[in-house]
Amino acid sequence: MATESSGSKLIVRNLTKAFRRQRDNRVIKVFDGISLDVHPSEFVCLVGPSGCGKTTLLRILNGLIPYDSGEIFLDGNSVIKPGVDKGFVFQDSSLLPWRTVTDNVILGLEIQGADKKVARERAQKFIDLVGLKGFETHYPYELSGGMQQRVNLARALIVDPEILLMDEPFASLDAQTREIMQSELLKMWVQAKKTVIFVTHQIEEAIYLADRVVVFSARPTKIREIVKIQISRPRPLSVKRTKDFLDYTDQIWEIIQEEVLKSMGREVEERGVVR
Amino acid sequence: MKLRSSQLYAFCSIFAGIALWQIGYMLLARSYLFEAFAINLFLSSPVGVAQSFVELLGTGELLTHSYASFIAFSYGYLLAVAVGIPLGVLMATIKKVNYYLDPWVSSIYATPRVALAPVIIIWFGLGIFSKALIVFLGAVFPILLNTYTGIKSVRENLIEVVEAFGGSTMQVFFKVMVPDAIPAIITGLRLAVGRAVIGVVVAEWFGTEAGLGYMVYDYSMVFQPAPVFVGIVVLIAFGHLAFVILERIQRWISPWYQFQLEKEVEGMGLE
Ligand SMILES: Nc1ncnc2c1ncn2[C@@H]1O[C@H](COP(=O)(O)OP(=O)(O)O)[C@@H](O)[C@H]1O
Ligand SMILES: [Mg+2]
Repeated sequence: MATESSGSKLIVRNLTKAFRRQRDNRVIKVFDGISLDVHPSEFVCLVGPSGCGKTTLLRILNGLIPYDSGEIFLDGNSVIKPGVDKGFVFQDSSLLPWRTVTDNVILGLEIQGADKKVARERAQKFIDLVGLKGFETHYPYELSGGMQQRVNLARALIVDPEILLMDEPFASLDAQTREIMQSELLKMWVQAKKTVIFVTHQIEEAIYLADRVVVFSARPTKIREIVKIQISRPRPLSVKRTKDFLDYTDQIWEIIQEEVLKSMGREVEERGVVR
Repeated sequence: MKLRSSQLYAFCSIFAGIALWQIGYMLLARSYLFEAFAINLFLSSPVGVAQSFVELLGTGELLTHSYASFIAFSYGYLLAVAVGIPLGVLMATIKKVNYYLDPWVSSIYATPRVALAPVIIIWFGLGIFSKALIVFLGAVFPILLNTYTGIKSVRENLIEVVEAFGGSTMQVFFKVMVPDAIPAIITGLRLAVGRAVIGVVVAEWFGTEAGLGYMVYDYSMVFQPAPVFVGIVVLIAFGHLAFVILERIQRWISPWYQFQLEKEVEGMGLE
């Protein structure tokens, strides 16, 4: 078992990954060698054109799918397999519809083999933390989208993970709810001091949350740029209207625009459309 | 229980239908046609059926036949559950099993299984075993096929949630696949009730000496329509009751499923 000791929480080196598409057996190169270092307690946002592999990267980091070559170290440890040292916050509707809020929150503990009663007691703290006190016995279908994502977050936090992997968790929420969730997430992050990898397609969301924003290129994906966000914390929501913030937005927007255009060109190519 | 307006309409509709039947019969009884065609040998009225019901109940005949049918139904249905659900699960989860069994399932499903009843009776005689087997053949397919589809259409993203926490295959199965497939399985159980009732009646037509199917057949041979209708009504009532009970169970076990269905209907812009 390879190990790596340095100050980094997560190290990704020269990662490559390709899929074989079932439909036509064509190999799709997703990652063409990406490298990234994430410090402990850092908040890193990943942005990039759709289809560039953001979800794929989170899946690889969680150990849900294998990668082709390169190295990954989490806490200096190179064996990456699914487990409760990582907390995965999925996009929407990933709650088990037949479980109440409490029973959804304890899922990870239950899988670990924890006693259900003990787990439920522990769940209360996290339900309170995400602001869902009073909704313990509700079912997901009785909750709004925002509340469902709070449960999703509590479910990831309760296992006390080393790292939180979040895949566009607020994408389906309306603008106001999303802003509230963003600022509450930051408050929780300050308390919990977790390392967070947060995927979003909203540049503004990335800048507001992140210490660093990683901008991916179109496929085959490389890291186009890593933008350090030097906006002091705590960040009130009003920070989104400051000049610094808007400058960051412009900067990242330009890079992404270029990449999106490239990826559109590629899509046309892949579909075999001749213009 | 609160009566919803749709239930009220249904009740009124049934009541009106019965009333119409009674009135029609009474009008027919006054016309010369009644005598000319000996209609009383072929048709009875709701009141006549009710009288016959009380009579058959009094002599104990109805209970004896109902009991015999119920036993055949129960054995066959339970056997169908015991075979259909596990087989559906295995076919949906293990590719090889599916490859081997699918040709059998598809071809037997496509045969009119009622046609097998005489053969089964020739092979296994007139006893409860043959009856249960015929019921089983009717009931097993809706259960098997709905279980199969239920497991096959379990949501991938929910499976991934359990996997992401390091859940084992068994944990994925019990924490996601089973609960997500349960509504579909119960739908299969509901459809199977009707098939099983048909199975009971058919089995009893082929010369057993007890059961509601036998009773219906027997009285029709001697031109007594009232007891025939009594048998039919009891069969309908039983089938309907079992269906409704299973529907209740479905709502109780999977309240989220009803909501999901309603949302899908909304999504299709039907309401
Ligand atoms: N299981 C898979 N099999 C084949 N191709 C896949 C699979 N998962 C993802 N892909 C492809 O990999 C690329 C990256 O997908 P994804 O990581 O979901 O992108 P993103 O999250 O950035 O939008 C896409 O082109 C997608 O079609
Ligand atoms: Mg994605």
